[in-house]
Amino acid sequence: MNPRILSMLRASQRALEMWGVIVAFVILFAVSTFNQGFDFLNPENFRALLNSNAPVGILAVGMTLVIISAGIDLSVGSMVVLAAAIGMTTMNSLIDSGTSELNAVMLGGAATIFAGTVAGTFNGVLVVFGRIAPFIATLGGLAAFRSMSLAIADAGEIRSQSATMFSALGRGGVPIPGLLNAAGKPLTLSYSTVIFFVVAIIAQWFLSRSRFGRQLVAVGANETAARYAGISVSWVRLRVYSIMGLLAGIAALVQSSRMNSVSTSQLGLGSELDAIAAVVIGGTTLRGGFGRVWGTVVGVLILGMITNILTISGVSPYWQGAVKGAVIVLAVLVQRSSRE
Amino acid sequence: MNREILVVNSVTVDYPGVRALDAVSLAFRTGEIHAIVGENGAGKSTMMKVLSGVIRPTSGTIMLKGMQRQFTRPSDAIRAGIAMVHQELHLVGTLNVAENVLLGREPTRFLGVAVDHQRQHVVAGALLRQLGSDFDLSTLACDLSIAQQQFVEIAKCLASDARVLIFDEPTAVLGEVEANRLFVVMRRLRDEGRCVIFISHHLDEVVSVADRITVLRDGKLVQAFARNTNGILQSEDGSIADEGRLAHAMVGHELSSIYPEKVYATCTSPAIQLANFGAKNKSHGISFSVAAGEILGIAGLVGSGRTETAEAIVGIRPCEGVLRVEGREIRFSNPRAAMRSGVAYVSEDRKNRGLHVTLSSICNMMLPSLDKVSRLGGIMIDSQTEQRMTKKWIDAFQIRCTRPMQAISSLSGGNQQKFALARWLEARPKVLIIDEPTRGVDVGARGEIYRIIAQLAREGLACIVISSELPEVIGIAHRVIVMREGTIAGEIPSERLALKDCQERIVRIASGLSEESVASK
Repeated sequence: MNPRILSMLRASQRALEMWGVIVAFVILFAVSTFNQGFDFLNPENFRALLNSNAPVGILAVGMTLVIISAGIDLSVGSMVVLAAAIGMTTMNSLIDSGTSELNAVMLGGAATIFAGTVAGTFNGVLVVFGRIAPFIATLGGLAAFRSMSLAIADAGEIRSQSATMFSALGRGGVPIPGLLNAAGKPLTLSYSTVIFFVVAIIAQWFLSRSRFGRQLVAVGANETAARYAGISVSWVRLRVYSIMGLLAGIAALVQSSRMNSVSTSQLGLGSELDAIAAVVIGGTTLRGGFGRVWGTVVGVLILGMITNILTISGVSPYWQGAVKGAVIVLAVLVQRSSRE
Repeated sequence: MNREILVVNSVTVDYPGVRALDAVSLAFRTGEIHAIVGENGAGKSTMMKVLSGVIRPTSGTIMLKGMQRQFTRPSDAIRAGIAMVHQELHLVGTLNVAENVLLGREPTRFLGVAVDHQRQHVVAGALLRQLGSDFDLSTLACDLSIAQQQFVEIAKCLASDARVLIFDEPTAVLGEVEANRLFVVMRRLRDEGRCVIFISHHLDEVVSVADRITVLRDGKLVQAFARNTNGILQSEDGSIADEGRLAHAMVGHELSSIYPEKVYATCTSPAIQLANFGAKNKSHGISFSVAAGEILGIAGLVGSGRTETAEAIVGIRPCEGVLRVEGREIRFSNPRAAMRSGVAYVSEDRKNRGLHVTLSSICNMMLPSLDKVSRLGGIMIDSQTEQRMTKKWIDAFQIRCTRPMQAISSLSGGNQQKFALARWLEARPKVLIIDEPTRGVDVGARGEIYRIIAQLAREGLACIVISSELPEVIGIAHRVIVMREGTIAGEIPSERLALKDCQERIVRIASGLSEESVASK
């Protein structure tokens, strides 16, 4: 083939790899608008879309960092339910013992985040000091953390003893000036969405500007070379799993306060796959060493929009998994072909 | 009776910046053991890669049994009957001996669906007996010794009915007894009328085993010997091959002028000192010291424990013995700790260990010294400072790159090596260990790297240069120690480095010949 055409093809392939996720987003957006018109463009729809995807989004941000370090965390869904169960049990028992509701809610929230961080650090210890492959170590967590939370609540639901205060976080939001909903009240951007975006911005900053981010990329790209360069690989690894746990704790807090209860058999079920899917669609490579948080955020939105379109167009929820699966495989195909 | 089976016709191979093979013509015959010798970088392995279809020659042709052939991948060569017994063994550890021997060509039953285990055993057993080895066919490959694994590899080649067998430094991993068994097998293969190509650094082996010897130097064929009717290895001009003559032919004599003038250190207090030091299971009893401003060269064959010792110094491998840095006894648990005490190690394996090839130059440059460019209590990287620092080294070392964010893989070997050096100098070490400083570096950049090393030494850095290229060690070092089988086999003081026979002397020490025979000549 003509070398100029060939180099152009190669360049466009590289561009597709870099910006493909944006292209996909725009196409999907256009298709949705064309199909559903106002139903889709309705700000209320966007609010709901963001709101319902925020918890998975928070997990996906952490998953991006883990995958960049050439690891994986399959236990995030189970970490969410365990953290939520521990947090809510703590809060309820504090309220029962007569602590003021505010203090109980604060302490319960702190317990949720703390429990997540501990669980994540535990994964990190297994990977770093136990020298267990991340896939296996966190597969253990996937089973164990879920089972522990089922045991805490006898596989049932833990209902919050806080009437309104705890759920304020999950249901409230920041009013957006100038936008009104159908009932004529100011439209709000839910706190969970705000938390998602803040977490994503901080993570992207850390990834591209901090020493830790640089070390993370180095460890993921080539662990041996990183060790030869004097980087403490264990310490970097351990931290990334702790951060994953911390974010799982935050996601747990967001989820449980929205429901104002914790269903130990349902909460977080399958979120690890959604999170990994979002990361992959966003252009982070599964073999590690390269990735971006902003891509993951767009990936979360793409996954959310697909569900949204399918739901609005009345496609059976049973089929939605198939469509999502196809999108994930397509994303990996595009990434792979341009790396050859 | 001995036909020419494989003929190489003025084959040239160009790598970026280096001509690895320069119009080499060779004929390999059936029923012969043909040895190829030469120093590292002489073109031996490039020649073998051409023969086994790993690389395609830039120009020149290969004739197999009188027909011109072009191999585009290794499977082409294997199908044509050329098999290579690699130095690294490629057995599947979880399969047994019989399965490994017939991997990919299993005898089958039921229309090719089921493996015929019985016949597999019979066929594999016959092949191994042909080699004179008799071990249990149901042993798993991972339980075999290295020598046994090698026999399985050879049996694999026989299973594919290879007429040409290439042995790439097979004895490097074998003990003497095992090596002798291998030679018996090689002779047996030869007597069956196969062509055996043998590459080795051990000149004594070559002289005793080979029927024909070709010496390569700098990609050119410099001398050829063949066994005459009296069983004596002789070249066309009548000179008789012995180890000394081979070493002489391998080395040549021109020391080129790319080496800077040596400025000997005035300081005598050692910056680094090793006493009875060693890397666990790899080297032992190593004692030397290097003063500030001195350049110590470490020569020796591949596998003599040089790299392992260096890695043990900086804490990549477990070590034994005593290590002193600036008089203080110390032991490093990792390269990070070594760096804090001022000892830096530049790896020989730039691609896998020395650098992150997928990352940018600036990332690579700053990795060991991220502390220096961090703000906000070590959290944030000050990108302006890091760009300034990188720029400083790009200017100082005249690194040719378009911008610091460029992926380091797009730079030439020489420029990559300069970054690999510079990244450690930014951390201001007192002792710098450079392993193979010019591997994969073109000639032009070599001179620049030598000048950099000499300049660093003048500024008071204690340098240890590990190199397999003798002219390089001799040209740059103030003093050379030669390692063999994990320990120091000899030392060449500065006043003898300038002598003509120095290179030969090192070759002799490194390959285990006595030093006296040089002196007596």
